[in-house]
Amino acid sequence: MTETSSGRRLAVIGTATAALTAVAVFGVFFVAPEDADQGIIQKIFYFHVSIAIASLVAFGVGCVAGIRYLRSREQRHDDVSVIAVGLGLLFSVLVLLTGSIWAKASWGTWWVWGDPRLVTFLIVILLYAAYFVLRSSVEGERQRRYSAIFAIAAFASVPLSFYSVRVAQSFVHPVVFTQGGANMPSSMVVWYVVSQVAAIGLFLTMLQLELIQRRAERRLRALKLQLERALA
Amino acid sequence: MSVRAARQFRALLVKDLRLELQTRETAVAMVLFAVAAMVIFQFAIGTRTDETTPFAGGILWATLALTAVLGVGRSYVPEREQGVLDGLLVAPVSRMTLLVSKAVAIASYMLAVEVVAVPLAGIFFVEGPFFADLGLLLVVCLLANAGIGILGALFGSMSLFSRARELVLPVLFLPSIVPVVIAAAGATHAIAGVSNDMAEYRGFCLFLGIYALVFGLVAYATYPYVFDD
Repeated sequence: MTETSSGRRLAVIGTATAALTAVAVFGVFFVAPEDADQGIIQKIFYFHVSIAIASLVAFGVGCVAGIRYLRSREQRHDDVSVIAVGLGLLFSVLVLLTGSIWAKASWGTWWVWGDPRLVTFLIVILLYAAYFVLRSSVEGERQRRYSAIFAIAAFASVPLSFYSVRVAQSFVHPVVFTQGGANMPSSMVVWYVVSQVAAIGLFLTMLQLELIQRRAERRLRALKLQLERALA
Repeated sequence: MSVRAARQFRALLVKDLRLELQTRETAVAMVLFAVAAMVIFQFAIGTRTDETTPFAGGILWATLALTAVLGVGRSYVPEREQGVLDGLLVAPVSRMTLLVSKAVAIASYMLAVEVVAVPLAGIFFVEGPFFADLGLLLVVCLLANAGIGILGALFGSMSLFSRARELVLPVLFLPSIVPVVIAAAGATHAIAGVSNDMAEYRGFCLFLGIYALVFGLVAYATYPYVFDD
């Protein structure tokens, strides 16, 4: 892939994401109806759920890129995997922060251990934090290979976290999306969908930005090496 | 599994178990560690409440999870320090056989610890009738051990080649087995003392089975890449 096409892609995704984020913020705060029970605090739902889904998408991208790395051993797949996992981790921390704010307003406490979904999200964060510990403790090609293996194994724990909610049968966490559809009016669903697309767009923009930066750094290092050799 | 692979699996498993039977280092250390951990839990939690039965499952499986870290680390000592791994890698043994034999060895160590730790947890923390059915608890142990063994074999192999492996292994392994602790503690709680909630027990056992299956598939797909150099 040429740098020009990467730059063009970044410009397109970045512009679309910025526009969508502005529309989402406007829609959520000025157009979407206020929840009759929870009031203004319910607005955090649009960001909390959107970034939660975006973090899962990021971990999924990290897993798929890990599989592609193991099959091809191409550096670019490792780049995508490590950046996606890092962004997923960042988004997950934001999910816990927004979830805690929502929990304080709704249930009067910052944290509820009784809800396996919150707890398993915390486990997912611990798992993906371990990804970087592993990455920093192994070197060379093995570092990329082990990171890919761990990205795959950690992603397997994500559906298990949701399954644990069903097994434990806890209903502390509000279940908005059920098999029968969304438990909210369509005027809210629309703004949720816009927020969701904006959050995924934010992930894709940051992924593209970081990829370009990594490639530029690698090229700069190669040029520096060439220059040193020429001067020697 | 072919006859040859089955024979290799048996040889590898016997190698691990015979080494352990000769030295008795790992299992004895794991049992002592488990007992010490339960005593610590008793002073941390038990002295602050009169009713410890609701915590029995949690204390037992938290103890076993920590003990598993010790067991997984110890189970790779011959591979790491006595050059066993080099011999295994050049031998015509499939990577899957290596994985399965090590997973079964780790699960066996865990079972040896559970033989002591489970009755002890019952005596220490469960008031009234002891665990309603020890056979049901054995199922929980076997399902949980399957998940612990598979993950232990995968992450233990990866930690062999890492710097500060004593730190890396718990950091990788413990968050991964938290769902096992949640489900196994839940299943144990469902049948501990006077409670006998079979629906809850079956739900948690199903989760443990699915967990072992999912990570079995993950390990099957990724383990060959651990030694791919």
